[in-house]
Amino acid sequence: MSLLRTVNLKKHFGETRAVDGVDFVVTEGEVLALVGPNGAGKTSLVNLLSAYLTPDSGEIIFLDQDITNMSVTGRIKAGIARSFQIVNLFDDLTAFDNVALSIFSRENKTLKLMSLADHDHEVNKETDEVLELFGLGGKGHILAKEMAQGERKLLDVAVAYALRPKFLFLDEPTSGVSTRDKAQIMDTISSVVRAGHITAAVVEHDMDVVFKYSDRIVVMSDGKILADGSPDEIRANKEVETIFLGTG
Amino acid sequence: MDIFILQVLNALFYAAILFLIASGLTLIYGVMQIVNMAHGSFFALGAFVTAWLIGQLAGNVHPLLLLLAMPVGAFIVAVFGMALEPTLLRPFYKRPEEYQLLLTFGILLVLEDLMRVLFGGSPLAADQPMAPFGSMPVMGLKYPNYNFLVIAVGIAAAIGLWAFVYRTRFGVMLRATSQNMKMASALGLDVGRVYVLAFGIGCFLAGLGGAIVVPTQTAVLGMALDALIIAFVVVVVGGIGSLKGALIGAVIVSFVRTAGVQFFPEIELAVLYLIAAGVLLWRPTGLFGKA
Repeated sequence: MSLLRTVNLKKHFGETRAVDGVDFVVTEGEVLALVGPNGAGKTSLVNLLSAYLTPDSGEIIFLDQDITNMSVTGRIKAGIARSFQIVNLFDDLTAFDNVALSIFSRENKTLKLMSLADHDHEVNKETDEVLELFGLGGKGHILAKEMAQGERKLLDVAVAYALRPKFLFLDEPTSGVSTRDKAQIMDTISSVVRAGHITAAVVEHDMDVVFKYSDRIVVMSDGKILADGSPDEIRANKEVETIFLGTG
Repeated sequence: MDIFILQVLNALFYAAILFLIASGLTLIYGVMQIVNMAHGSFFALGAFVTAWLIGQLAGNVHPLLLLLAMPVGAFIVAVFGMALEPTLLRPFYKRPEEYQLLLTFGILLVLEDLMRVLFGGSPLAADQPMAPFGSMPVMGLKYPNYNFLVIAVGIAAAIGLWAFVYRTRFGVMLRATSQNMKMASALGLDVGRVYVLAFGIGCFLAGLGGAIVVPTQTAVLGMALDALIIAFVVVVVGGIGSLKGALIGAVIVSFVRTAGVQFFPEIELAVLYLIAAGVLLWRPTGLFGKA
């Protein structure tokens, strides 16, 4: 079943065609990788789908609803969440508070202004569970800014996950971390996403990561979709191999 | 020894008032990133409204009940500020700082005239709440016990504000909004509501400062600007945006000023400004401010 689709989606920045007529379908439950060289339009596409950019034209349909003009907040409420290439955390809040804020927001508990922050048993329990899932158990009291880069990446995804999205975008979840941490981060994210039956789209440069963790790969170039298929199909695609994998 | 105790008490009294003004100023800056030149007016408005309320009630109720006029006065200032923030101030948050400074200074001038229209040009005295507290002898002088209440209110405000910001759910949202407004908004937090409440709390604190000081000194036109200037010295020393900075800055400024009044009255204000300038040179963000 189609969870999200775009129809002739376009976003131009002057002469640059960042996203140029993309028709794109995401099926419920799949883990999709979005790849391509720098400037291919991957992050622009993710920004359009998560409302951080407004399209010049085209449509975005999510669960049969036109969300093209919906705000970031509206899309979060509809079930679309994302993490960022450069982690976007509340640096002076603890890891616990970063995750708890997502839960407060999701549960519409933000209006109970005078409630003691740590006296909501349900939120506390769920926050601890989310941190545990992402391998951050016991680190809830640490300020986000004091965490290691790999932990910050995981926390960024945990904050998005705590919104309980139906569709989760992960923008380069392993950028800026060591090769050893990369595998650990992707193992963690992959197991959480699959266990939670969350549909996910991952923007990633590392093709080893892409082939290992995704069900389907979409290759972008110059704002268009160049190829779309399973990891084996993409691996066998000579055009993709020549242009992007550098092994042609 | 008595003179030392007396000056320490005077300094603590003054620090309590300064903290109430400066913490509101720094809270508003911390959340909305706006330097609110009108903040002194909320202090003055609190003093005038409370003095007027006490004037209306005095003689009709028990003197201790007059103390209730103080939170009521501060609350009226808070409500006024909460009406002002979304209507006049918010449209300017995305504009360059000079527009915000001009706007808030304009509000200060308008409020000064508004107070003149509402309460007249003459000073308003309201010392009736002090009488039931009596006084204690220090250095052959009578030190009013009411001043201990002011010091206690300052300490309670510091503890209460800390608990509110660091222990409540709203405090978490407040800190999140002050750190990354766009992300807080994206997460679905009602940033507009956070702004209104933060501004209201800031105004309440300033109004409370004016309300509790008015039994010890008359409410006069011009007190807004004096309060604003000294509050700026406090936040420059402590670091703008930092509650801890507002507290430590208030204590430093009040002790220096009290010592100045006692030992070098001719250059008392100049010393304060020199300290502020020195801190700016040494730590441009103040003692506890962030770059």
